[in-house]
Amino acid sequence: MAKERRIRVLIAKPGLDGHDRGARVLTLGLRDEGMEVIYTGLRQTPEKIVQAAIQEDVDVVGLSCLSGAHRYLFPEVVEQLKSKGVEDVMVLGGGIIPKEDVPFLKEKGVSSVFGPGTSIKEIANYIRENVKRK
Amino acid sequence: MGVFDKDRIEEIERKRREWEEGTLKRSLERLGLKQSPVRFYTPADLRDFDFLEKVGFPGEYPFTAAEYPSLVPELRIRGGVSSLLVRASSYSGYGTAEDTRDYYNYMRSAYGRRGGPNIAFDLPTQCGYDSDSPMARGEVGKVGVAIDTLQDFELLYEAFVGDNDLDKIASNFTINAPCNVILAMYFALAEKRGIPLDRLRGTPQNDILKEFAARGTYIFPPKPSMRMARDTITYCTQHAPNLNTISICGYHVREAGATPIQMVGFTLSNAIAYVQLGIDAGLDVDTFMRRFTFLAWSTGMDFFKEIARARAGRRVWAKIMRERFEAKNPRSWMLRGGGGMGVPTHTLTAQRPLNNVARCVVTGIGNAMSGAPPFGGIPYDEPMGLGHSLEAQQLSLDAGRIMQFEAKLADVIDPLAGSYYVESLTDEAEEQIWGIIHKIDAMGGAVAAIEKGYVQREIARSAYQYQKEVEAGERVIVGVNRFIGEQELEVLTTRLVEHPYDPRKRAEAEEKQLRSLAQVKRERDDGQVQATLRRLKEEAKDEGVNLIPPIMEAVKAYATVGEICDVLRGVFGEYEAYNVTA
Repeated sequence: MAKERRIRVLIAKPGLDGHDRGARVLTLGLRDEGMEVIYTGLRQTPEKIVQAAIQEDVDVVGLSCLSGAHRYLFPEVVEQLKSKGVEDVMVLGGGIIPKEDVPFLKEKGVSSVFGPGTSIKEIANYIRENVKRK
Repeated sequence: MGVFDKDRIEEIERKRREWEEGTLKRSLERLGLKQSPVRFYTPADLRDFDFLEKVGFPGEYPFTAAEYPSLVPELRIRGGVSSLLVRASSYSGYGTAEDTRDYYNYMRSAYGRRGGPNIAFDLPTQCGYDSDSPMARGEVGKVGVAIDTLQDFELLYEAFVGDNDLDKIASNFTINAPCNVILAMYFALAEKRGIPLDRLRGTPQNDILKEFAARGTYIFPPKPSMRMARDTITYCTQHAPNLNTISICGYHVREAGATPIQMVGFTLSNAIAYVQLGIDAGLDVDTFMRRFTFLAWSTGMDFFKEIARARAGRRVWAKIMRERFEAKNPRSWMLRGGGGMGVPTHTLTAQRPLNNVARCVVTGIGNAMSGAPPFGGIPYDEPMGLGHSLEAQQLSLDAGRIMQFEAKLADVIDPLAGSYYVESLTDEAEEQIWGIIHKIDAMGGAVAAIEKGYVQREIARSAYQYQKEVEAGERVIVGVNRFIGEQELEVLTTRLVEHPYDPRKRAEAEEKQLRSLAQVKRERDDGQVQATLRRLKEEAKDEGVNLIPPIMEAVKAYATVGEICDVLRGVFGEYEAYNVTA
C-alpha cells in the first residue's frame, strides 16, 4: 500500500505584527498531528507567502495576524493565490479577528477563522475534514 | 543567624512525622486517599532562615519586601481616582497624528484626563518603514499612530501646549528599534518650543533585546541595535538627565510564552547587558542607573509561586547591582518599576470574558502580597480587541477600590514575609533564576544567547508546553478547557465603546497619511535631507560615534523614519529572525 501523502501546511505571518506565539505553537502542534508544517517567520508580504505556498506545494495556508490588518492582508493572499492559478489551497485565518469581520473574510475566500482558545486538535480536525486536495 | 532554634526545628520535624503517621494518615484513610492533595509548611522548610539577609526592610537591600519603604497607592493620593485613568491617555494612539491629537484633546475635555501621552505607534513606525512603503500596506494607523516625519510629531503634540507643554508633562513612547529617531523628534520639538532638554521627562521603551526574544519589532542585528541603546544612555545622561533611557520589559517575554522563572531570568540577563553598555561607555553606574526602569512583569494565576517569583526577582537584581556591578547608591539596586507580581494579560480569555474580572482580582490581591498596591489589573474585555469599554474600565477601577478600601489590602507591605511556604518558594525561585542567568552568562551574555537563538527557542518550547498542558486538561482554564458543558451559562456582556474611534477616520487613515507624507516630501529641502542622511551614514560607520545628533539633524530637515532607518540598514544590515521551528 502506498504511503499516504501527508498534509502540507504553511503557517505565515503577513504584515508587520510580531506576535507569533500562536503561529509557533500551531507549527509545532500540527507537526505532532502528523502534518508537514513550514513556518515563514515574521514580516511576510502576501507576495512572499504566495510564493512560499507554491514552492512548498502546500495544501493549507494558515495566516496569523493580531494587528488589525487582516481585512487587507488575508484577502490579498487569497487573491494572489487565485491570480497564480492556485484554487485548491485552503486558506485559514487566526489571531485577534473581531467577530464582525469573519463573514467578510469568508466571503473573500478565507475558509475558516480560529480565535484565541481554539485547540490544536480542533484546527487539525478541521483541516483533515476540509482540505481540498486529498 | 537564623531566627529558628536548631533543637526546636528538630522537634518540629519529629512532630511532623508523628502527624503524618497519625492524624493525617487516619484522615486520608477515611477519605480513601493515598496521598494528601494539600501541603503544609513549617519552620523546618526554612531551617536557617535569616530575616535580614533574606527579606530586610521595605525599600532596603535586598528589596525582597518591596522597592519602596512605604506604599503610596495611586488610589489614595488621587482621592480614589486611579492615575491610570486620569492620565491624558492610557496606552493609545491611532490613525494619523491629527486623529491622535484630537483623541487626546477629547479625552481631556470629556473625561478630565491630564498629563502626558503614552503613545502607541503603528507597526510601520515601530519597524522603521514609512507609510508609503510596500511593507506598510494594511498596517498604517493600526495598533497606534503613524509617524513618518517631524511634522507628524508637531501635529500630535498640538494637544500638549500651555499648561501641558513638554516641560510640564511626561511622555511615554512604546518604541524600540527606532527609539532614537523618535527621541530625536521629541528633542527637535522641544528645541523649537524653546524648552531645554534637561526639562524633559518621560520613558521610551527602548528594550531591543526583548524584541528579538519576544515582540518582533526589530530592525537591525543585535550588536548595532545595542549600540543604538548605548547612544540613548550616553546622550540622555549628558543632555536629558530627567528622561528615563530604557524600560526593560519582562512582560512581553512572558506573554510570548516564557515560564515565570524564564521571564525573570531572561529579563535580568537582558538588563545586565544594558548596564554593561553604560559601564563600557565609561559612565558612572550610579548616575545612569537613576534612569533605568522596568516594565517588569506579566503574571500567571499560580498565586503563591508568582508572589515568590516577584520577591525573588527583586532580590536577585539587588545582588546583581550591588555585588556584580558594585553600584554604591541603594537606588541603583532597586528593580525600579518592578513592584508586585504584575498584570495577568495572557491569562485572560475571550471565552466568558467577565471571568477576567475574577482573574484580575486574584492577581490584584497577589500584587498587594508582593510589594505593590492592589491593582484592578486590566479591563476584562482586553482579549476582545483594542479599545476597552467604559464598563470594563469601571469594573477594573472598582475592583482596585474594593481591594484597597474594603479589604484594606494596601495597609501592609509584604504580609507573607516569614511565611514558611512563601519564603521557601522564594528561595527556590531565586535559585532557578540564578540558574538561567548563569547559563546565559556562560554563553557570553544576553546578546550572544539571542544571536544563537537560545532564548527564542526556549520561549517557543515553553509556549508549546503550555498549550499541550491546556489541551491535555492538566492546566485548567475555566470556561476554555473545563466547565464548558451545556449546563454552564454564557454570561453576556455589553460594551459601550469609550471613544468613538471614528470608523470613517480609521478607514481613511492610510490614504490621508500617504497624502500628507507626499506633501512633506514635496515641500522639504531635498538637498538638505540628502546632506543630513549622508552625514548620518558616515557617522554610523564609526562605532564610537553617538548617532543621536546626526539623527536630530535629519529629522529637523524632515527626513522620514524610513529614510533614516534605511541609511542605518545600509550600514548595520538587517536582522534575520532565528527560525525557532526549523
